[in-house]
Amino acid sequence: MELLSDMKPDRKAVPLTTLFPGERAKIISLGHGAGIQRHLRTMGLMEGKIVTIIAAQPARGPFVIDVEGTQIAIGRGMVRRILIQKI
Amino acid sequence: MKKISLMGCPNVGKSVVFSRLTGVNVISSNYPGTTVDFTKGNTRIGGEKFGLIDVPGTYSLEPTSKAEEVALYMLQEGDIVIDVVDATHLERNLYLTLEIIGRKKPTIVALNLWDETKHLGIDIDVEKLEKLLDVPVVPTCAITGEGIKELAAKVGDAKPSKTIELMSEGERWLKIGEIIKEVQVVHHRHHTIWERIADTTVKPVTGIPIAILTILLTFLFIIVIGNWIVEHLMDPIFYNYYGPWIVGAVNSFSPEGLLHDILIGKSTVESLDFMQSFGLLTTGLYVPFDMVLPFVITFYFMLSLLEDVGYLPRLAVLVDTGLHKLGLHGSAIVPTILGFGCNVPGALATRILETRKQRFIAATLMAIAVPCMAQSAMIFGILGRYGMKWIIIVYCTLLVLYILLGLLLKKIVKGESPELLLEVPPYRKPDPLTLLKKTWTKAYGFLAEAVPFVILGVFIVNLLYVFGVIDVLSTVFSPVLTTLLGLPEGAIVALIMGFLRKDIAIGMLLPMDMSPQQLTISCVVLATYFPCIATFVVLLRELGIRDMLKAAGLMIVISLTVGIIMRLILIGI
Repeated sequence: MELLSDMKPDRKAVPLTTLFPGERAKIISLGHGAGIQRHLRTMGLMEGKIVTIIAAQPARGPFVIDVEGTQIAIGRGMVRRILIQKI
Repeated sequence: MKKISLMGCPNVGKSVVFSRLTGVNVISSNYPGTTVDFTKGNTRIGGEKFGLIDVPGTYSLEPTSKAEEVALYMLQEGDIVIDVVDATHLERNLYLTLEIIGRKKPTIVALNLWDETKHLGIDIDVEKLEKLLDVPVVPTCAITGEGIKELAAKVGDAKPSKTIELMSEGERWLKIGEIIKEVQVVHHRHHTIWERIADTTVKPVTGIPIAILTILLTFLFIIVIGNWIVEHLMDPIFYNYYGPWIVGAVNSFSPEGLLHDILIGKSTVESLDFMQSFGLLTTGLYVPFDMVLPFVITFYFMLSLLEDVGYLPRLAVLVDTGLHKLGLHGSAIVPTILGFGCNVPGALATRILETRKQRFIAATLMAIAVPCMAQSAMIFGILGRYGMKWIIIVYCTLLVLYILLGLLLKKIVKGESPELLLEVPPYRKPDPLTLLKKTWTKAYGFLAEAVPFVILGVFIVNLLYVFGVIDVLSTVFSPVLTTLLGLPEGAIVALIMGFLRKDIAIGMLLPMDMSPQQLTISCVVLATYFPCIATFVVLLRELGIRDMLKAAGLMIVISLTVGIIMRLILIGI
């Protein structure tokens, strides 16, 4: 199942900013330099994890996302560089 | 004496484990990064005495902020490490664990928040985890105290792991994957109704009204309950019991003269005036205990409640966009709010900000435009009698200053203002006992800090009057005070006192027969011109001498400018 859905052409990696609240997605890559990547991973934000959007603040404000039970407030610039696959 | 370092990620309940082990009143908070300064304590385990260090929370040993640098340094200090792990987020917590035990420090792992794993449908095989890590693992629930005895009993068993080596980041995550696969089973569950309600406090449409309401209610609570304590407890004590007694007692051995005046001023039993007598034992105690303490208690109660519930990170999310315009980000709301209690912890808390630029801006804005609770209580006490209008003018001026100065500093200070990145912990039910303990610890901290300085200040000012120094200074500074700011030249004494304590300094304005306009200007000038000595010392340590000098220069220039502008608006030329 998992493999089949991965092969569909519309399942390509897109920025996390395109995810709507309520939708679920799988994290493909984190972007950023090694230091920030490590920091994100230790906060629970890791490749392969399932992410949802809890809230997006207006005026290019930060997001609150949920990664398998951990909620993280994260600036929009960082969110834009995180690539996901919707599921 | 062997040293135990208590380490762990932010918000895993480390400080609660610490206070359980030591019995010391240690402050813990549901806000990542509250323990920015480390706390030390002693404990006795099995007859042996240990020093215990509560290390600031850190996600890894490659530090990203100043608070985390402290953590790394503290690891090297300790002989034994108790690694406190959030059992509900075992996977990401294990990263730090592997880093610590990879360094071959004798370690015990405390699986804290153990009770919550059951509610969340998480099963962890403790024995298997123990075997894989090759160090003792103890499930704990620090809030209730479960498992703490077992944890203490195993301190002697702490040992360097033979199975875990120091490895690269990639290898470490692979290793963690293997461990998790073997020891943890997570049963699927849906979002509970409570989690959905919790989410409304970070969604902008609902979150912003909730935030405004929360702040208003907090403010109302502090004022109403604070006033109630003043009227029904402190005033009766001072006016009916303490006052007559102390005047009688001093009169009995020193009916007049210098000593009498220094101790109780010109007070007599018939005319007790705690504000104007300016004696060590009258005004010197009345200001901290009667005028300020009730509001400090109510402030810290509300702050502790908001912290323990876990509201502050949500507030940080909501104010993030606004604070970015000032070169800060949402997390800066924490030092700011702490600053409204006392600028000293506020200045320390700027460490949670990542860059020098942010720390400089946050600390400078706080020192200039955030009056501490002691100061606020006095501003309300002194200006309140002329009507709310004047109080509003003071706070609006400070708010405008905060914003304008922030906009300016963002432009002129070099460096980066990174984006917000902050864990938002789940809401937790506060424990009433912890809440009261915390409020008491902070209120006691205020008294321990304030009373000696207030008494010292009153003493010095008395001496300055006696030796005529005040007259000289009044004449010297009269051009600035009278000509530029429109204040009586005697106001210099309040400015001198303000270096020591701002609360008593504002109290000194009262006997000067000022108009409400003059009082308003004085309050703003006193708030902005320079931090009190305690804050100054901490800022100097946090910012370094060069940045502190820059900040101090800004303060004096801004204070004078704002004072002159207010004079022109309120009094005229």
